[in-house]
Amino acid sequence: MEHAVDVRGLTKVYDGKVRALDGVDLRVEAGKVFAVLGPNGAGKTTLIRILTTQLKPTSGAASVFGLDVVRDGARIRRLVGYVPQEMSVWTDISGYENLLIYAKIYNVPSPKKRVIEDVLGKMGLSDVGNQLVKTYSGGMIRRLEIACTLLTKPRILFLDEPTIGLDPSARKAVWEELASIREEHGSTIFFNTHYMDEADLYSDEIAIINGGKIVKLGTTAELKRSVGGEVIMLGIESNSVNEDTLGEIRKLNSVNDVIINDSGLTVITKDAESLLPDVVEVLREEGISVTSASITKPTLDDVFQKYAGIRLESGGRISDVTQTRRMIKRG
Amino acid sequence: MLVMIELELRRLKHDRTELYTRAIQPILWIVVYGTIMSSIAAIPTGGIPYTDFITPGILIQSTTFVSIFYGLTIVWERDSGILKKLLVTPASRYATVIGRSMASGVRAVFQALIIVPVALLVGVNFFPNIAYFALALLIVFFASGGFAAISILIASFLKTRERFMGIGQAITFPLFFASNALYPVSIMPPILQEFSRFNPMSYIVDAVRGLMISGNLTNLPIDLLAIALFDAAMFVLASISFKRIVE
Repeated sequence: MEHAVDVRGLTKVYDGKVRALDGVDLRVEAGKVFAVLGPNGAGKTTLIRILTTQLKPTSGAASVFGLDVVRDGARIRRLVGYVPQEMSVWTDISGYENLLIYAKIYNVPSPKKRVIEDVLGKMGLSDVGNQLVKTYSGGMIRRLEIACTLLTKPRILFLDEPTIGLDPSARKAVWEELASIREEHGSTIFFNTHYMDEADLYSDEIAIINGGKIVKLGTTAELKRSVGGEVIMLGIESNSVNEDTLGEIRKLNSVNDVIINDSGLTVITKDAESLLPDVVEVLREEGISVTSASITKPTLDDVFQKYAGIRLESGGRISDVTQTRRMIKRG
Repeated sequence: MLVMIELELRRLKHDRTELYTRAIQPILWIVVYGTIMSSIAAIPTGGIPYTDFITPGILIQSTTFVSIFYGLTIVWERDSGILKKLLVTPASRYATVIGRSMASGVRAVFQALIIVPVALLVGVNFFPNIAYFALALLIVFFASGGFAAISILIASFLKTRERFMGIGQAITFPLFFASNALYPVSIMPPILQEFSRFNPMSYIVDAVRGLMISGNLTNLPIDLLAIALFDAAMFVLASISFKRIVE
Protein backbone atom coordinates (compact mmCIF):
# COMPACT_ATOMS: atom_id res chain seq x y z
CA MET A 1 0.00 0.00 0.00
CA GLU A 2 1.12 3.51 -0.78
CA HIS A 3 1.94 5.47 2.36
CA ALA A 4 0.68 8.99 2.90
CA VAL A 5 4.10 9.85 4.29
CA ASP A 6 7.26 7.80 3.88
CA VAL A 7 10.46 9.10 5.43
CA ARG A 8 13.75 7.19 5.31
CA GLY A 9 17.05 8.14 6.86
CA LEU A 10 16.15 11.82 6.79
CA THR A 11 18.70 14.30 8.09
CA LYS A 12 18.76 18.06 8.02
CA VAL A 13 21.78 20.09 9.02
CA TYR A 14 21.44 23.87 9.16
CA ASP A 15 24.46 25.92 8.14
CA GLY A 16 26.66 22.84 8.38
CA LYS A 17 26.37 22.96 12.17
CA VAL A 18 22.98 22.45 13.73
CA ARG A 19 21.73 18.90 13.25
CA ALA A 20 17.96 19.37 13.42
CA LEU A 21 17.06 15.92 12.10
CA ASP A 22 19.34 12.95 12.51
CA GLY A 23 18.24 9.88 10.57
CA VAL A 24 14.46 9.94 10.89
CA ASP A 25 12.47 6.94 9.65
CA LEU A 26 8.70 6.84 9.69
CA ARG A 27 5.72 5.80 7.64
CA VAL A 28 2.15 7.04 7.94
CA GLU A 29 -0.78 5.13 6.49
CA ALA A 30 -3.33 7.09 4.49
CA GLY A 31 -6.37 8.19 6.47
CA LYS A 32 -4.65 8.03 9.86
CA VAL A 33 -4.03 10.78 12.38
CA PHE A 34 -0.33 10.84 13.12
CA ALA A 35 1.24 12.85 15.93
CA VAL A 36 4.87 13.84 16.27
CA LEU A 37 5.43 14.51 19.94
CA GLY A 38 8.50 16.16 21.33
CA PRO A 39 9.89 19.11 23.24
CA ASN A 40 10.75 22.40 21.59
CA GLY A 41 13.81 22.15 19.40
CA ALA A 42 13.39 18.41 18.86
CA GLY A 43 13.11 18.82 15.08
CA LYS A 44 9.33 18.61 14.71
CA THR A 45 8.95 21.78 12.68
CA THR A 46 11.92 20.98 10.47
CA LEU A 47 10.33 17.63 9.66
CA ILE A 48 7.02 19.22 8.70
CA ARG A 49 8.75 21.90 6.64
CA ILE A 50 10.68 19.29 4.67
CA LEU A 51 7.48 17.32 4.06
CA THR A 52 5.71 20.47 2.83
CA THR A 53 8.64 21.15 0.42
CA GLN A 54 9.81 24.35 2.10
CA LEU A 55 13.23 22.97 3.00
CA LYS A 56 15.47 20.50 1.21
CA PRO A 57 16.73 17.56 3.25
CA THR A 58 20.50 17.31 3.72
CA SER A 59 20.33 13.57 3.11
CA GLY A 60 17.83 10.76 3.10
CA ALA A 61 14.50 10.61 1.33
CA ALA A 62 10.96 11.70 2.06
CA SER A 63 7.81 11.28 0.02
CA VAL A 64 4.17 12.25 0.31
CA PHE A 65 1.75 9.88 -1.42
CA GLY A 66 4.67 8.45 -3.37
CA LEU A 67 5.86 11.89 -4.55
CA ASP A 68 9.41 12.85 -3.68
CA VAL A 69 9.67 16.09 -1.69
CA VAL A 70 12.63 17.33 -3.71
CA ARG A 71 11.71 16.29 -7.25
CA ASP A 72 7.91 16.49 -7.19
CA GLY A 73 7.46 19.56 -4.99
CA ALA A 74 4.95 21.23 -7.30
CA ARG A 75 2.72 18.14 -7.36
CA ILE A 76 2.88 17.70 -3.58
CA ARG A 77 1.83 21.31 -3.07
CA ARG A 78 -1.43 20.54 -4.88
CA LEU A 79 -2.25 17.70 -2.48
CA VAL A 80 -1.46 19.15 0.90
CA GLY A 81 -3.00 21.58 3.30
CA TYR A 82 -0.60 23.25 5.69
CA VAL A 83 -1.03 25.34 8.81
CA PRO A 84 2.25 26.74 10.12
CA GLN A 85 2.85 27.24 13.80
CA GLU A 86 2.79 31.01 13.49
CA MET A 87 -0.28 32.95 12.51
CA SER A 88 -0.75 32.78 8.76
CA VAL A 89 -3.65 34.98 7.78
CA TRP A 90 -3.77 38.67 6.89
CA THR A 91 -5.21 40.55 9.82
CA ASP A 92 -6.05 43.78 8.00
CA ILE A 93 -8.72 42.20 5.82
CA SER A 94 -11.78 40.13 6.74
CA GLY A 95 -11.93 36.37 7.24
CA TYR A 96 -14.00 36.05 4.09
CA GLU A 97 -11.42 38.02 2.10
CA ASN A 98 -8.60 35.83 3.38
CA LEU A 99 -10.44 32.80 2.11
CA LEU A 100 -11.21 34.53 -1.18
CA ILE A 101 -7.51 35.26 -1.79
CA TYR A 102 -6.56 31.65 -1.05
CA ALA A 103 -9.47 30.36 -3.16
CA LYS A 104 -8.01 32.32 -6.07
CA ILE A 105 -4.45 31.16 -5.41
CA TYR A 106 -5.69 27.56 -5.40
CA ASN A 107 -7.96 28.13 -8.38
CA VAL A 108 -11.00 26.82 -6.55
CA PRO A 109 -13.76 26.41 -9.16
CA SER A 110 -16.66 28.86 -9.04
CA PRO A 111 -18.96 29.63 -7.39
CA LYS A 112 -16.20 30.56 -4.93
CA LYS A 113 -18.65 32.41 -2.73
CA ARG A 114 -20.54 29.23 -1.95
CA VAL A 115 -17.36 27.22 -1.26
CA ILE A 116 -16.11 29.94 1.08
CA GLU A 117 -19.40 30.29 2.92
CA ASP A 118 -19.44 26.53 3.26
CA VAL A 119 -16.02 26.32 4.94
CA LEU A 120 -16.79 29.34 7.12
CA GLY A 121 -19.92 27.55 8.27
CA LYS A 122 -18.02 24.33 8.96
CA MET A 123 -15.52 26.19 11.11
CA GLY A 124 -18.26 28.07 12.95
CA LEU A 125 -17.15 31.44 11.60
CA SER A 126 -20.20 32.41 9.53
CA ASP A 127 -21.17 35.22 11.87
CA VAL A 128 -17.77 36.90 11.83
CA GLY A 129 -16.81 36.24 8.21
CA ASN A 130 -17.04 39.90 7.26
CA GLN A 131 -15.20 41.26 10.27
CA LEU A 132 -11.49 42.12 10.15
CA VAL A 133 -9.30 39.26 11.35
CA LYS A 134 -7.72 41.73 13.83
CA THR A 135 -10.88 41.43 15.90
CA TYR A 136 -10.74 37.60 16.08
CA SER A 137 -9.71 35.56 19.12
CA GLY A 138 -6.78 33.14 18.89
CA GLY A 139 -9.11 30.17 18.48
CA MET A 140 -11.06 31.89 15.71
CA ILE A 141 -7.83 32.69 13.85
CA ARG A 142 -6.76 29.06 14.10
CA ARG A 143 -10.09 27.92 12.77
CA LEU A 144 -9.82 30.41 9.91
CA GLU A 145 -6.38 29.01 9.09
CA ILE A 146 -7.77 25.50 9.00
CA ALA A 147 -10.69 26.78 6.90
CA CYS A 148 -8.11 28.00 4.35
CA THR A 149 -6.83 24.46 3.90
CA LEU A 150 -10.36 23.09 3.48
CA LEU A 151 -10.99 25.08 0.31
CA THR A 152 -9.30 22.33 -1.67
CA LYS A 153 -10.19 19.16 0.27
CA PRO A 154 -6.53 18.19 0.75
CA ARG A 155 -5.51 14.54 0.89
CA ILE A 156 -3.22 15.29 3.78
CA LEU A 157 -3.14 18.08 6.33
CA PHE A 158 0.15 19.15 7.91
CA LEU A 159 -0.48 21.02 11.14
CA ASP A 160 2.43 22.50 13.07
CA GLU A 161 1.34 22.85 16.70
CA PRO A 162 -2.31 23.35 15.72
CA THR A 163 -3.49 24.42 19.15
CA ILE A 164 -0.50 26.28 20.57
CA GLY A 165 -1.57 29.18 22.73
CA LEU A 166 -5.26 28.27 22.74
CA ASP A 167 -7.38 27.81 25.83
CA PRO A 168 -8.75 24.30 26.52
CA SER A 169 -12.20 24.91 25.05
CA ALA A 170 -10.75 26.42 21.87
CA ARG A 171 -8.38 23.45 21.60
CA LYS A 172 -11.28 21.08 21.88
CA ALA A 173 -13.25 22.95 19.22
CA VAL A 174 -10.31 22.81 16.80
CA TRP A 175 -10.00 19.06 17.28
CA GLU A 176 -13.68 18.49 16.80
CA GLU A 177 -13.49 20.28 13.46
CA LEU A 178 -10.43 18.26 12.48
CA ALA A 179 -12.19 15.02 13.32
CA SER A 180 -15.13 15.93 11.12
CA ILE A 181 -12.83 16.88 8.23
CA ARG A 182 -11.18 13.52 8.47
CA GLU A 183 -14.51 11.77 8.47
CA GLU A 184 -15.79 13.77 5.52
CA HIS A 185 -12.78 13.76 3.19
CA GLY A 186 -10.80 10.82 4.53
CA SER A 187 -7.83 13.18 4.84
CA THR A 188 -4.68 12.05 6.55
CA ILE A 189 -3.68 14.34 9.40
CA PHE A 190 -0.03 14.78 10.35
CA PHE A 191 0.54 17.07 13.31
CA ASN A 192 3.26 18.26 15.64
CA THR A 193 2.60 18.87 19.26
CA HIS A 194 4.22 19.10 22.63
CA TYR A 195 0.88 18.59 24.39
CA MET A 196 0.88 15.02 25.57
CA ASP A 197 -2.85 14.86 26.13
CA GLU A 198 -3.46 15.98 22.57
CA ALA A 199 -1.32 13.24 21.08
CA ASP A 200 -2.94 10.81 23.49
CA LEU A 201 -6.55 11.73 22.70
CA TYR A 202 -6.57 12.46 19.02
CA SER A 203 -3.92 10.43 17.24
CA ASP A 204 -3.90 6.90 15.87
CA GLU A 205 -0.15 6.70 16.01
CA ILE A 206 2.57 8.68 17.73
CA ALA A 207 6.24 9.24 16.99
CA ILE A 208 8.25 10.51 19.92
CA ILE A 209 11.04 12.72 18.71
CA ASN A 210 13.95 14.11 20.65
CA GLY A 211 17.22 15.60 19.51
CA GLY A 212 16.33 15.04 15.85
CA LYS A 213 15.75 11.31 16.31
CA ILE A 214 12.55 9.28 16.51
CA VAL A 215 13.00 7.53 19.82
CA LYS A 216 9.77 5.51 19.77
CA LEU A 217 6.90 4.86 17.39
CA GLY A 218 3.56 3.24 18.01
CA THR A 219 -0.09 3.65 18.98
CA THR A 220 -0.81 5.28 22.31
CA ALA A 221 -1.72 1.94 23.82
CA GLU A 222 1.43 0.25 22.53
CA LEU A 223 3.61 3.04 23.84
CA LYS A 224 2.05 2.92 27.28
CA ARG A 225 2.27 -0.85 27.42
CA SER A 226 5.92 -0.68 26.49
CA VAL A 227 6.84 1.17 29.67
CA GLY A 228 5.43 -1.62 31.83
CA GLY A 229 2.01 -2.85 32.78
CA GLU A 230 -1.04 -1.26 34.23
CA VAL A 231 -1.58 -1.80 37.93
CA ILE A 232 -4.67 -2.97 39.85
CA MET A 233 -4.62 -2.45 43.60
CA LEU A 234 -7.26 -4.14 45.75
CA GLY A 235 -7.83 -3.57 49.43
CA ILE A 236 -8.23 -6.95 51.20
CA GLU A 237 -7.20 -8.64 54.41
CA SER A 238 -3.72 -9.85 53.48
CA ASN A 239 -3.85 -12.98 55.65
CA SER A 240 -7.12 -14.10 54.04
CA VAL A 241 -5.45 -15.02 50.75
CA ASN A 242 -3.75 -18.37 50.33
CA GLU A 243 -1.37 -19.59 47.64
CA ASP A 244 -4.15 -21.38 45.73
CA THR A 245 -6.07 -18.16 45.30
CA LEU A 246 -2.98 -16.37 44.05
CA GLY A 247 -2.44 -19.25 41.63
CA GLU A 248 -5.99 -18.84 40.33
CA ILE A 249 -5.40 -15.17 39.70
CA ARG A 250 -2.06 -15.81 37.98
CA LYS A 251 -3.85 -18.15 35.59
CA LEU A 252 -6.18 -15.37 34.43
CA ASN A 253 -5.57 -13.93 30.96
CA SER A 254 -3.01 -11.12 30.61
CA VAL A 255 -1.78 -11.18 34.20
CA ASN A 256 1.93 -10.40 34.43
CA ASP A 257 2.47 -10.55 38.14
CA VAL A 258 0.59 -10.78 41.44
CA ILE A 259 1.99 -9.42 44.68
CA ILE A 260 0.44 -9.63 48.12
CA ASN A 261 1.54 -7.46 51.00
CA ASP A 262 0.14 -5.60 54.00
CA SER A 263 -1.52 -2.91 51.95
CA GLY A 264 -3.41 -5.47 49.85
CA LEU A 265 -3.24 -7.23 46.55
CA THR A 266 -1.37 -5.79 43.56
CA VAL A 267 -1.91 -7.21 40.07
CA ILE A 268 0.24 -6.10 37.14
CA THR A 269 -1.35 -6.56 33.74
CA LYS A 270 -1.63 -5.33 30.17
CA ASP A 271 -5.25 -4.38 30.46
CA ALA A 272 -6.44 -3.46 33.91
CA GLU A 273 -10.01 -2.48 33.07
CA SER A 274 -11.08 -5.83 31.62
CA LEU A 275 -9.13 -7.84 34.17
CA LEU A 276 -10.49 -6.15 37.28
CA PRO A 277 -13.92 -7.91 37.30
CA ASP A 278 -12.26 -11.30 36.81
CA VAL A 279 -9.93 -10.79 39.76
CA VAL A 280 -12.77 -9.65 41.96
CA GLU A 281 -14.79 -12.67 40.84
CA VAL A 282 -12.00 -15.10 41.86
CA LEU A 283 -11.71 -13.45 45.26
CA ARG A 284 -15.45 -13.57 45.84
CA GLU A 285 -15.55 -17.28 45.06
CA GLU A 286 -12.95 -17.76 47.79
CA GLY A 287 -15.10 -15.71 50.14
CA ILE A 288 -12.67 -12.79 50.35
CA SER A 289 -14.23 -9.36 50.54
CA VAL A 290 -12.72 -6.42 48.61
CA THR A 291 -12.81 -3.10 50.46
CA SER A 292 -11.32 -0.85 47.75
CA ALA A 293 -10.08 -0.97 44.17
CA SER A 294 -7.89 1.33 42.09
CA ILE A 295 -6.25 1.27 38.67
CA THR A 296 -3.04 3.08 37.77
CA LYS A 297 -1.94 3.46 34.17
CA PRO A 298 1.29 4.76 32.74
CA THR A 299 0.93 8.15 31.03
CA LEU A 300 2.55 9.32 27.84
CA ASP A 301 4.75 11.37 30.10
CA ASP A 302 6.14 8.13 31.53
CA VAL A 303 6.62 6.91 27.97
CA PHE A 304 8.32 10.09 27.02
CA GLN A 305 10.57 9.97 30.02
CA LYS A 306 11.58 6.41 29.35
CA TYR A 307 12.52 6.95 25.70
CA ALA A 308 13.61 10.56 25.54
CA GLY A 309 15.23 10.53 28.95
CA ILE A 310 13.61 13.83 29.91
CA ARG A 311 10.20 15.07 30.95
CA LEU A 312 8.23 17.11 28.44
CA GLU A 313 8.09 20.47 30.05
CA SER A 314 5.49 22.99 29.14
CA GLY A 315 7.01 26.24 30.32
CA GLY A 316 9.60 28.36 28.60
CA ARG A 317 9.31 28.86 24.93
CA ILE A 318 5.64 28.03 24.62
CA SER A 319 4.67 31.21 26.37
CA ASP A 320 7.12 33.01 24.08
CA VAL A 321 5.31 31.67 21.06
CA THR A 322 1.98 32.67 22.51
CA GLN A 323 3.31 36.15 23.07
CA THR A 324 4.66 36.31 19.56
CA ARG A 325 1.29 35.35 18.20
CA ARG A 326 -0.32 38.09 20.21
CA MET A 327 2.26 40.61 19.06
CA ILE A 328 1.76 39.64 15.45
CA LYS A 329 -1.94 39.94 15.86
CA ARG A 330 -1.59 43.45 17.13
CA GLY A 331 0.54 44.20 14.07
CA MET B 1 -0.46 37.37 -9.81
CA LEU B 2 -3.59 39.48 -10.08
CA VAL B 3 -4.82 38.05 -6.82
CA MET B 4 -1.93 39.76 -4.97
CA ILE B 5 -3.03 43.09 -6.42
CA GLU B 6 -6.56 42.34 -5.32
CA LEU B 7 -5.24 41.59 -1.84
CA GLU B 8 -3.55 45.01 -1.76
CA LEU B 9 -6.69 46.80 -2.93
CA ARG B 10 -8.72 45.08 -0.24
CA ARG B 11 -6.21 46.10 2.40
CA LEU B 12 -6.33 49.69 1.17
CA LYS B 13 -10.09 49.60 1.25
CA HIS B 14 -9.98 48.77 4.96
CA ASP B 15 -7.19 51.11 6.00
CA ARG B 16 -6.03 54.12 4.04
CA THR B 17 -4.16 55.96 6.78
CA GLU B 18 -0.77 55.02 5.42
CA LEU B 19 -1.57 56.61 2.06
CA TYR B 20 -2.38 59.90 3.72
CA THR B 21 0.49 60.00 6.17
CA ARG B 22 3.00 59.06 3.49
CA ALA B 23 1.68 61.88 1.31
CA ILE B 24 2.65 64.52 3.86
CA GLN B 25 6.37 64.47 3.16
CA PRO B 26 6.21 64.86 -0.65
CA ILE B 27 3.60 67.58 -0.28
CA LEU B 28 6.00 69.49 1.98
CA TRP B 29 8.77 69.10 -0.61
CA ILE B 30 6.57 70.58 -3.29
CA VAL B 31 4.84 73.25 -1.24
CA VAL B 32 7.71 74.45 0.95
CA TYR B 33 10.98 73.45 -0.70
CA GLY B 34 9.67 73.98 -4.23
CA THR B 35 8.21 77.41 -3.54
CA ILE B 36 11.30 78.68 -1.71
CA MET B 37 13.79 77.38 -4.25
CA SER B 38 11.82 78.76 -7.19
CA SER B 39 11.92 82.25 -5.65
CA ILE B 40 15.72 82.31 -5.92
CA ALA B 41 15.77 80.68 -9.38
CA ALA B 42 19.24 79.24 -8.79
CA ILE B 43 18.81 76.01 -10.70
CA PRO B 44 18.58 75.86 -14.50
CA THR B 45 15.41 73.98 -15.40
CA GLY B 46 15.10 74.67 -19.10
CA GLY B 47 12.46 77.33 -18.80
CA ILE B 48 10.13 75.36 -16.54
CA PRO B 49 9.12 76.87 -13.18
CA TYR B 50 11.12 75.13 -10.44
CA THR B 51 8.12 73.74 -8.57
CA ASP B 52 6.87 72.21 -11.80
CA PHE B 53 10.34 70.83 -12.46
CA ILE B 54 10.60 68.96 -9.19
CA THR B 55 7.01 67.74 -8.96
CA PRO B 56 7.64 64.57 -11.01
CA GLY B 57 10.86 63.97 -9.06
CA ILE B 58 9.10 64.27 -5.72
CA LEU B 59 6.27 62.11 -6.98
CA ILE B 60 8.66 59.35 -7.98
CA GLN B 61 10.72 59.71 -4.83
CA SER B 62 7.69 59.29 -2.61
CA THR B 63 6.19 56.39 -4.58
CA THR B 64 9.47 54.49 -4.75
CA PHE B 65 9.85 55.07 -1.01
CA VAL B 66 6.54 53.36 -0.50
CA SER B 67 7.81 50.47 -2.58
CA ILE B 68 11.23 50.20 -0.97
CA PHE B 69 9.52 49.85 2.37
CA TYR B 70 7.10 47.31 0.97
CA GLY B 71 9.71 44.77 2.01
CA LEU B 72 8.66 45.53 5.58
CA THR B 73 5.32 43.92 4.81
CA ILE B 74 7.22 40.92 3.52
CA VAL B 75 9.37 40.81 6.65
CA TRP B 76 6.20 40.95 8.73
CA GLU B 77 4.71 38.13 6.72
CA ARG B 78 7.88 36.18 7.25
CA ASP B 79 7.68 36.65 11.03
CA SER B 80 4.13 35.43 10.88
CA GLY B 81 3.49 32.21 8.96
CA ILE B 82 2.01 33.78 5.84
CA LEU B 83 5.05 33.37 3.62
CA LYS B 84 5.53 29.77 4.68
CA LYS B 85 1.96 29.07 3.77
CA LEU B 86 2.28 30.88 0.43
CA LEU B 87 5.33 28.77 -0.40
CA VAL B 88 3.27 25.63 0.15
CA THR B 89 0.58 26.72 -2.33
CA PRO B 90 0.73 25.75 -6.00
CA ALA B 91 1.44 29.40 -6.95
CA SER B 92 4.91 29.78 -8.50
CA ARG B 93 7.58 31.89 -6.86
CA TYR B 94 7.66 34.20 -9.85
CA ALA B 95 3.92 34.78 -9.68
CA THR B 96 4.16 35.50 -5.97
CA VAL B 97 7.08 37.91 -6.22
CA ILE B 98 5.86 39.77 -9.30
CA GLY B 99 2.33 39.85 -7.92
CA ARG B 100 3.48 41.30 -4.60
CA SER B 101 5.72 43.83 -6.36
CA MET B 102 2.95 45.03 -8.61
CA ALA B 103 0.65 45.18 -5.61
CA SER B 104 3.02 47.78 -4.25
CA GLY B 105 2.68 49.58 -7.59
CA VAL B 106 -1.04 49.87 -6.85
CA ARG B 107 -0.28 51.64 -3.61
CA ALA B 108 2.12 53.93 -5.44
CA VAL B 109 -0.50 54.96 -8.00
CA PHE B 110 -2.94 55.87 -5.24
CA GLN B 111 -0.17 57.84 -3.59
CA ALA B 112 0.40 59.73 -6.84
CA LEU B 113 -3.29 60.47 -7.11
CA ILE B 114 -3.16 62.21 -3.73
CA ILE B 115 -0.08 64.28 -4.54
CA VAL B 116 -1.18 65.52 -7.97
CA PRO B 117 -4.22 67.53 -6.81
CA VAL B 118 -2.09 69.22 -4.15
CA ALA B 119 0.48 70.13 -6.79
CA LEU B 120 -2.32 71.56 -8.91
CA LEU B 121 -3.40 73.73 -5.98
CA VAL B 122 0.13 75.10 -5.59
CA GLY B 123 -0.06 76.12 -9.21
CA VAL B 124 1.96 73.43 -10.98
CA ASN B 125 1.12 73.42 -14.69
CA PHE B 126 0.59 69.87 -15.85
CA PHE B 127 0.85 69.11 -19.55
CA PRO B 128 -2.77 69.01 -20.61
CA ASN B 129 -3.03 65.57 -22.14
CA ILE B 130 -4.98 62.77 -20.46
CA ALA B 131 -3.27 59.99 -22.41
CA TYR B 132 0.17 61.29 -21.37
CA PHE B 133 -0.98 61.50 -17.77
CA ALA B 134 -2.32 57.95 -17.83
CA LEU B 135 0.94 56.68 -19.32
CA ALA B 136 2.82 58.52 -16.58
CA LEU B 137 0.75 56.73 -13.94
CA LEU B 138 1.47 53.44 -15.68
CA ILE B 139 5.19 54.22 -15.44
CA VAL B 140 4.78 55.02 -11.74
CA PHE B 141 3.06 51.64 -11.39
CA PHE B 142 5.77 49.62 -13.12
CA ALA B 143 8.67 51.58 -11.65
CA SER B 144 7.33 51.05 -8.14
CA GLY B 145 6.96 47.37 -8.92
CA GLY B 146 10.68 47.26 -9.73
CA PHE B 147 11.61 49.00 -6.50
CA ALA B 148 9.33 46.70 -4.51
CA ALA B 149 11.20 43.78 -6.07
CA ILE B 150 14.49 45.31 -4.83
CA SER B 151 12.81 45.55 -1.48
CA ILE B 152 11.82 41.88 -1.53
CA LEU B 153 15.37 41.03 -2.56
CA ILE B 154 16.75 42.97 0.41
CA ALA B 155 14.15 41.45 2.72
CA SER B 156 15.21 37.97 1.70
CA PHE B 157 18.76 38.74 2.84
CA LEU B 158 18.13 40.84 5.94
CA LYS B 159 15.07 39.13 7.36
CA THR B 160 14.54 41.52 10.28
CA ARG B 161 12.64 44.75 10.53
CA GLU B 162 15.38 46.74 12.26
CA ARG B 163 18.08 46.02 9.71
CA PHE B 164 15.61 46.69 6.99
CA MET B 165 14.70 50.19 8.13
CA GLY B 166 18.31 51.32 7.95
CA ILE B 167 19.02 49.85 4.55
CA GLY B 168 15.81 51.25 3.12
CA GLN B 169 16.91 54.81 3.84
CA ALA B 170 20.46 54.11 2.74
CA ILE B 171 19.25 53.05 -0.69
CA THR B 172 16.53 55.54 -1.49
CA PHE B 173 18.25 58.78 -0.56
CA PRO B 174 21.39 58.24 -2.66
CA LEU B 175 19.22 57.23 -5.60
CA PHE B 176 17.10 60.31 -5.07
CA PHE B 177 19.97 62.81 -4.76
CA ALA B 178 21.98 61.26 -7.57
CA SER B 179 19.09 61.58 -9.98
CA ASN B 180 17.53 64.38 -11.94
CA ALA B 181 14.68 64.65 -9.45
CA LEU B 182 15.69 67.98 -7.85
CA TYR B 183 18.15 69.39 -10.41
CA PRO B 184 19.26 68.58 -13.93
CA VAL B 185 22.03 65.99 -14.26
CA SER B 186 24.19 68.51 -16.14
CA ILE B 187 24.94 70.56 -13.00
CA MET B 188 26.11 67.55 -10.96
CA PRO B 189 29.79 66.74 -10.37
CA PRO B 190 31.10 64.39 -13.13
CA ILE B 191 31.21 61.35 -10.85
CA LEU B 192 27.58 61.73 -9.92
CA GLN B 193 26.71 62.28 -13.56
CA GLU B 194 28.26 58.90 -14.36
CA PHE B 195 26.36 57.29 -11.49
CA SER B 196 23.15 58.91 -12.63
CA ARG B 197 23.39 57.07 -15.93
CA PHE B 198 22.94 53.80 -14.06
CA ASN B 199 20.34 55.18 -11.72
CA PRO B 200 16.89 53.86 -12.63
CA MET B 201 15.32 56.79 -10.85
CA SER B 202 16.74 59.23 -13.40
CA TYR B 203 15.05 57.42 -16.25
CA ILE B 204 11.78 57.17 -14.39
CA VAL B 205 11.78 60.86 -13.45
CA ASP B 206 12.74 61.84 -16.99
CA ALA B 207 9.88 59.85 -18.50
CA VAL B 208 7.30 61.14 -16.03
CA ARG B 209 8.54 64.73 -16.37
CA GLY B 210 8.22 64.49 -20.13
CA LEU B 211 4.71 63.14 -19.93
CA MET B 212 3.35 65.21 -17.08
CA ILE B 213 5.07 68.58 -17.36
CA SER B 214 7.08 69.40 -20.47
CA GLY B 215 5.38 67.25 -23.09
CA ASN B 216 8.86 66.59 -24.50
CA LEU B 217 9.01 62.90 -25.32
CA THR B 218 12.36 62.64 -27.16
CA ASN B 219 13.93 60.45 -24.47
CA LEU B 220 10.83 58.39 -23.76
CA PRO B 221 11.81 55.23 -25.72
CA ILE B 222 15.18 55.01 -23.93
CA ASP B 223 13.53 55.70 -20.59
CA LEU B 224 10.94 52.98 -21.13
CA LEU B 225 13.60 50.52 -22.20
CA ALA B 226 15.66 51.28 -19.10
CA ILE B 227 12.63 50.85 -16.83
CA ALA B 228 11.68 47.56 -18.50
CA LEU B 229 15.22 46.20 -18.11
CA PHE B 230 15.34 47.34 -14.51
CA ASP B 231 11.99 45.69 -13.71
CA ALA B 232 12.87 42.43 -15.45
CA ALA B 233 16.24 42.18 -13.70
CA MET B 234 14.77 42.91 -10.28
CA PHE B 235 11.86 40.48 -10.73
CA VAL B 236 14.24 37.66 -11.65
CA LEU B 237 16.68 38.37 -8.81
CA ALA B 238 13.93 38.74 -6.23
CA SER B 239 12.23 35.52 -7.36
CA ILE B 240 15.48 33.60 -7.17
CA SER B 241 16.24 34.78 -3.67
CA PHE B 242 12.65 34.61 -2.46
CA LYS B 243 12.83 31.05 -1.22
CA ARG B 244 15.76 31.99 0.97
CA ILE B 245 13.56 34.31 2.99
CA VAL B 246 11.87 31.64 5.08
CA GLU B 247 14.92 29.44 5.62
